[in-house]
Amino acid sequence: MQEEENQKPKTKNQNRTDFFEITSEPLKVGAIARRVVPANCGAIVTLDGFVRQWTKERETEYLVYEAYEPMALKEMEKLIERAHERFEIENVGIVHRLGRLEIGETSVVIAVAAPHRRAAFEACEWLIKELKRTVPIWKKEVYRDGEVWIEGDSQIKN
Amino acid sequence: MQVLFFGATADAVGMREVEIDFSADAKAADAFAAIVQKFPQLARHKLLFAVNQEYADGGETIKNGDELAVFTAVSGG
Repeated sequence: MQEEENQKPKTKNQNRTDFFEITSEPLKVGAIARRVVPANCGAIVTLDGFVRQWTKERETEYLVYEAYEPMALKEMEKLIERAHERFEIENVGIVHRLGRLEIGETSVVIAVAAPHRRAAFEACEWLIKELKRTVPIWKKEVYRDGEVWIEGDSQIKN
Repeated sequence: MQVLFFGATADAVGMREVEIDFSADAKAADAFAAIVQKFPQLARHKLLFAVNQEYADGGETIKNGDELAVFTAVSGG
């Protein structure tokens, strides 16, 4: 047991309190952000991603999110590891909501705590960009006159 | 082997999972080609594949009990 313990890869900060979760419950942005705060940090940058009503001229009624949950959690964990390698940050929290979401409801929260704000801003932007590219979660946009699963980050043009 | 579908691919095939037998030591690429042949309606989508909850490039050797998944480019966030 002792040997196994010693062979664990050492991370820079043994007190990291990263988390990544998927839930069907409404997201409380402030509460999620507070969970990443360590004593040596001076800034948290929080992304509150929510359901947009208008995409160009098309009006969305509501969204439905679906995930390949076990793989999505693995990919979120990998993302956080990669973020720690790239940026001077302390803690990262990512929570994504699934199911039906109404206009204005929060679908994803990413909170990054860092000693200095610049790294937190950069890491947060990088994390949402990569999440939209790699984490197996899909959104269905439901309109008054139909619905479509969005494939990839770009909006479907029709 | 268990093959999972999500979102657009689940709608396209009309089910969320299906059991398909592949020959022993098949390459993932061959298995995925067989899936698309069985459900040709998938071909109009740009597809991504996973083996055991990891993105697959097709070179993987699959074995009994593996979990395969077929889905479209992701759109979370």
